Amino acid sequence: MSAESAKEFEALEAQARALLASFARAGYEPVAPSIIQPAGMFLDRIGESIRSRTYVFTDLAGDELCLRPDLTVPVSRLYLERHPRADVEARYCYNGPAFRFQPQGRSPTRPREFRQAGIECFGVADRDSADAEIVRLAVEGVRSGGLKAFRLRFGDIALFYALLDALSLPERWRLKLSHYFWRPPAFHELLARLARGERPDSDGPIAALADKIGKEMPERAEELVADYLDAQSLPLAGNRSLNEITERLRDHAADLRSAPLPKEVATVIDYYLAVSGPPKEAAERVAMIAHGAGLDMSASLDALVRRFDRLQQSGIDMAQAIFAAEFGRDLEYYSGLVFQIEVPGNGAEPIAGGGRYDGLLEALGAPRPVPAVGAALHTERLLAAAERAS
Amino acid sequence: MAATLTIAVPSKGRLKDQAAARFEQAGMALRQIGHERGYRGSLAGLDGVEVVYISAAEIVHQLKTGRVHLGVTGEDLIRETLPDVDSTVEFLKPLGFGRADVVVAVPDCWLDVVRMADLEDVAAQFARAHGRRLRVATKYMNLTRRFFAASGVAGYRIVESVGATEATPAAGTAELIVDITTTGTTLRANHLKVLEDGLILKSQAHLFASRAASWTPDATKLRDAIAAKLSD
Repeated sequence: MSAESAKEFEALEAQARALLASFARAGYEPVAPSIIQPAGMFLDRIGESIRSRTYVFTDLAGDELCLRPDLTVPVSRLYLERHPRADVEARYCYNGPAFRFQPQGRSPTRPREFRQAGIECFGVADRDSADAEIVRLAVEGVRSGGLKAFRLRFGDIALFYALLDALSLPERWRLKLSHYFWRPPAFHELLARLARGERPDSDGPIAALADKIGKEMPERAEELVADYLDAQSLPLAGNRSLNEITERLRDHAADLRSAPLPKEVATVIDYYLAVSGPPKEAAERVAMIAHGAGLDMSASLDALVRRFDRLQQSGIDMAQAIFAAEFGRDLEYYSGLVFQIEVPGNGAEPIAGGGRYDGLLEALGAPRPVPAVGAALHTERLLAAAERAS
Repeated sequence: MAATLTIAVPSKGRLKDQAAARFEQAGMALRQIGHERGYRGSLAGLDGVEVVYISAAEIVHQLKTGRVHLGVTGEDLIRETLPDVDSTVEFLKPLGFGRADVVVAVPDCWLDVVRMADLEDVAAQFARAHGRRLRVATKYMNLTRRFFAASGVAGYRIVESVGATEATPAAGTAELIVDITTTGTTLRANHLKVLEDGLILKSQAHLFASRAASWTPDATKLRDAIAAKLSD
């Protein structure tokens, strides 16, 4: 534990009791999932950037395990253990240690062991109210920790997907852009390249093969690729099917033939991603961009505005908040509204954060998509910020 | 008499033989003390030098902690193991042996994959089709992470592999590998191809100096003498 003195430990314990009590009053059942988790689950969901900061080890039975780097996945697994059919509503809260290697060295605000307090809400179909409830409880938690001055920052992953859908792009570009959304530098490079109309290499044996199969129906194309591999004596390996290899060769062929992405489309995406400001103005700005480009994003935009209204009604001063279209691009399992609570002068290290992750439970084995939203508080940072402010 | 300077050389395999040949050629033959498998020795013609024979990987740790002044080992191991190479060791002299390229290699049936940029697209497609990330088998976890990050590839996970890495894609326990190759023969035999921009490091054995060792004036003189002989 990063609390190395009895006094710090007591302060953290007192804060944890207060947080858990306030979450429990709101109907969230306290849970304590295992600290040691199967590594594969995390490594397949979270990606190499957190993987490289996760303490992974092999036990004497040869199982690959990890010290949990985060509590959202363990709590989601606990929900699925209790409710394998994933067909009931459940609200859980927790406070417990999580572990992350700090490549830049440890510091009081970047400890390798820290306590995460949080809430997760599963199976609630009314997404508007579940989202608003989670943000409100996170804000109340931060306030009960003694912090009065902070700022809320919002983003919305679903709104970006709505924009891509409305733009009616070729499917292969839509998939590519939605995947690269999570890798901002590569995303902007890709967008620029598509807009310049840059073609892939059109010489070489692969381009010739791609060109040949690009004109065929998918089944015939797959046969031609199989023949090519046979002729070159290349066995299929690496767990990718003939179909997958063929699909990418056909995409390659389509890129060779297609017109560039219209400049206006790239501009609309750039304009959208640059939107940042108080939520009300930001939503108006997005509506203006959509209107100007003749796009219908109203369903997703209305959903976002409804959440903002609910938060305003629950006593949060939304005029002081920020909505940034770019925000949330490093948290790959999120699927909708995302937010964090920041303290001025605390740099890039938020006190709390969370969001909607409707895809995660199905990826963890749920038989159906499960609406899910949650938030976590970094308790050491909260304590330090509250002490600085007092 | 306690030695003035300690130099670590590999204790087994080709690296040991090649290091012995290189030092002999430079006029300071390595002499093992005691029987054939002894782990200490001296340098002919240089008094005050103690030679210790340890594994190439362990040499990196001994250089880091400063328990040896000099060490002969591969640049690949140094760059893989040390978080901050330049503040830990000094590259004194490339030795011209132990050459190996650390490369990214994929199954050669992946006709659609030529460059690193293709890997991220494949990772996205693979996640859609199989519900998991691409697995990269390697013993070079840090080199892999840094290189993949610099190439903008994120949709993968590493599976640690300490032997027969090149067989993992055919065995189905990984999709691609990062490994060392000298001639490419082993890769070809396992139906793997190196990506066009998949060269992570051109490695060879170097003489390294530890920055953490205690450098007395006499130790520094011996270091310069050894480096000069290797340069002749």
